Amino acid sequence: MLIGPTGALFVLLAVALGVAVPVILMASRAPGARRLAITLILAASFAGCVLAVFGFLGRAAPRLDLSWAAPFPFSFVVDRLSAFFLLLVCAVAIPVTIFAAPYFDLHYSERRRNWTWGFFSLFLLSMIVVVTAATGFSFLVGWELMTLVSAGLILIEGDSAERRHNVFIYLLMMHAGAAAVAACFFLFLPYSHGLDFEAVRASGAGMPGGIRAAIFLAAFVGFGAKAGLIPLHLWLPRAHPIAPSPVSALMSGIMLKTAVYGFVRFTFDFLGGGPWWSGYVVLIVAAVTGLLGILYAIAEDDLKRLLAYSSVENIGIIFLGLGASLIFLAHGVPLGAALALIAALFHTFNHAFFKSLLFLGAGAISNSAHSANLNELGGLQRRMPFTGAAVLIGCCSIAGLPLFSGFVSEWLTFRSLLAGSALINTKAQIILPLMVGILALIGGLAAACFVKTFGTAFLGRPRSTGAEHAEEAPLGMRTGLALLAAVCLAIGIFPGFLLRPLVALAQVLIPGAGVPEETLSIARILPWTAAIVLGTGALVAVFKRRERIARTWACGLPGLSSRMQYTSTVFSKPLRFVFAQVYRPDRKVEELPADQPYFPVSISYRSVRTTSYERVFYRPFVELILSLAYRLRRLQTGNIQVYLLYIFLALVSLLAFLRFER
Amino acid sequence: MRIALDILQVLLLILGAPLVRAIIARLKARLQRRRGASIWRPYAELFKLLRKEELVPPTSSAVFRLAPMVLFGATIGAAAFVPVVHASALLGSRGDFFLFVYLLALGRFFLSVGALDGGCAFGGMGASREALVSSLAEAPFLLGLVAIAIVASRVDIAGMVAWTLGQNIFNISAVHILAFTSLAMVILAETGRMPVDNPTTHLELTMIHEGMVLEYSGPSLALIEWASAIKLHIMVALLIALFFPWGMASNGSGWGIAVALLLYCTKTAVLVILLSVIESSVAKLRMYLVPDFLGVASALSALAVIFTMWVKR
Repeated sequence: MLIGPTGALFVLLAVALGVAVPVILMASRAPGARRLAITLILAASFAGCVLAVFGFLGRAAPRLDLSWAAPFPFSFVVDRLSAFFLLLVCAVAIPVTIFAAPYFDLHYSERRRNWTWGFFSLFLLSMIVVVTAATGFSFLVGWELMTLVSAGLILIEGDSAERRHNVFIYLLMMHAGAAAVAACFFLFLPYSHGLDFEAVRASGAGMPGGIRAAIFLAAFVGFGAKAGLIPLHLWLPRAHPIAPSPVSALMSGIMLKTAVYGFVRFTFDFLGGGPWWSGYVVLIVAAVTGLLGILYAIAEDDLKRLLAYSSVENIGIIFLGLGASLIFLAHGVPLGAALALIAALFHTFNHAFFKSLLFLGAGAISNSAHSANLNELGGLQRRMPFTGAAVLIGCCSIAGLPLFSGFVSEWLTFRSLLAGSALINTKAQIILPLMVGILALIGGLAAACFVKTFGTAFLGRPRSTGAEHAEEAPLGMRTGLALLAAVCLAIGIFPGFLLRPLVALAQVLIPGAGVPEETLSIARILPWTAAIVLGTGALVAVFKRRERIARTWACGLPGLSSRMQYTSTVFSKPLRFVFAQVYRPDRKVEELPADQPYFPVSISYRSVRTTSYERVFYRPFVELILSLAYRLRRLQTGNIQVYLLYIFLALVSLLAFLRFER
Repeated sequence: MRIALDILQVLLLILGAPLVRAIIARLKARLQRRRGASIWRPYAELFKLLRKEELVPPTSSAVFRLAPMVLFGATIGAAAFVPVVHASALLGSRGDFFLFVYLLALGRFFLSVGALDGGCAFGGMGASREALVSSLAEAPFLLGLVAIAIVASRVDIAGMVAWTLGQNIFNISAVHILAFTSLAMVILAETGRMPVDNPTTHLELTMIHEGMVLEYSGPSLALIEWASAIKLHIMVALLIALFFPWGMASNGSGWGIAVALLLYCTKTAVLVILLSVIESSVAKLRMYLVPDFLGVASALSALAVIFTMWVKR
């Protein structure tokens, strides 16, 4: 049983798990131990990739049953869907690990470094557990571990009150989400014997509509919280930016994707599509998420917060595809459903790569320029050309420009939305094509956002001494960036490699679906387009022969300074002005002294962008919970006799319940 | 034969572009009671710029030099999607309008990035304003095309044109009128014409496109100017192909193509006259009124999409 692919899976899991402990224990004494541990993590990720590729191509579906070692059914399987996400986890883990090795060396003391690596490998392991779990219990164990370990990784980085507050919010929302995810499983229990995925899947069809709707909603809320769907995204821009950059890359790049995995597993695999309204709910929430996500991203000046908000936006795009797919499924059009699902999964793949690339790029920048504030950067392209080129590829991909990976998935999403016009249902016929407009707006804003990001960070003049003295990132970091950028480029021009297995995956999840013609046509047209665009670009390069460096005319002043450049804040000002309703800034103008309005000694101006959704959604909710908690406190008298009474009452009621149940 | 004709179309779009621009400038001059420059001047200018030495700012990087080439390549790529004399295009029968629109976005992205690399205030200003205009123009642009695609039940531009060719000219629906209006508005914004941007301005308060190209010179400037002329020509050709394609050659015969070419020139002339009259008679919009302008375009195109419900099939 434990041979071949299954054995590889076992080795992979055991190795990654085994790495964590010896590193923490030994590395402070044996200098080679950490290097060994990193090699082991890389080897495990590589083994995972191989395993995933086999599973993804449908060659094998290895199983691993560990129930003998646990008090409950505890097993793993790598079917096509799992394999796809396993591939994401492991393939992103390799460059991130390569990047992290020099990064952690530069940033951490010996002791913290060991802890970080230990948690790092546990974090990878937990994500592998989540995407390969074959029972409810193994899934929930991985899910919980993933949250806790990532919170630990954030806390290793520092220990300020603000950080603890952010981690608290993160843990709170994750546990609320985890409760909903657990509820999903337990709602299946009355209809299936056990929480083995196969039993759950078998029971999916025969359940009453109400329960199916409840499961769908619980899954949407539970996984939506993990994915960062608005309004459940509150934790995301708080938790992601404060983690160390390689960890942010893992969190944004692949941890969010485990939520997509969970949602697809439940709604498509277990339920076979939600209630008829499910698609519309998902679609509208996704549109709001995408639009608000990118609008908040544009307004950010901190590179990592900007990237975190852009993750919210991309999750919105992924769920647009999933929503469209559910609508098609509800109207009995498997082909359209397959196309939309492929679009969503493709975007999941792309986002994993370009977002990790950008977060690693942010790490390289803050490492060299000692700041991640866009208003303090600039001119880095001349100082770190390699990092700049990789980040430019990431920016083009995330902006959805053709010849880069992001375009393919956005194109597929566009086409699946457009295909909605062929449905018979009036609602779907209008809403789906109109969503093209929303997605186009999101895409346009994303392009603007990443022009700003790349332009202010890498181009022009340096805006601080840190940026002025920045140096190129070390070799390990560059290798990590190069690997990720290469994937973005390759997928952008030759998407066929990924599309073919994705079509097969969609056909497994949506029975009766054929091969969407769109997936073939995009794979055919892109190489030709690339040939024309790149060919022409290369052809005209021959004209550029002589050039001379000349000072920029400074309107008669002695010279330009970096203060005359557009900053990130100014760049986004027109868009912030137009969408002022979204931002609702708190502005404060103070003139001193107050009694002489015409002769002020000093004027200070402060403008803080508020998060209006927080006030609307969360304040009432938090107050409700607090008031409930105060009321519940009455139970807690501190008197031991009362507690004994509670125990007695609980015992009696349980006995009574058992008596009457028969 | 067909491929040769397709390539010929692209060449026509590329080589004819400076002429279209020059004719607009000439007509505008006439409307302002000036004589105006020769309509061949843009060719002479391109020729001159391509041979000149290039001046680059001391702070600029490779991106500054790369941007014009990518812009030019992407614009040529987009030109390969638009049918001119027959209902087919080099990439237009396989690629769809999403790819077309996003190729233009690719060029714009690099132009904006290149502008920020100049390291002076004007580049940033132009790029920032361009970001505002183009990010809001994308939605009505795509929605307008979506409306026509739904009516024609085709997604490739050549197919959409072929469908329109088969229709009676008097049989046009509200969808086409709405989509045409919104696309015409979008095209004014996308190509940087009045009332969104003034192509002849050199006043920092008003410039968008001019601000972005301020630091460029020599061959790079030539490529940028040529690309923006091609973009204008593509857009005019797109409007003609989508809404007034009648007269395009249905087969590859020399006679039919000659007639189609002649008709194309006539239609272009009409649109160009219209454009120069508009440009001469309206004032440039204040920057923050541009979103309203594009908002109207978005509303019109959304209506067009909704109206497809009743016209379809």
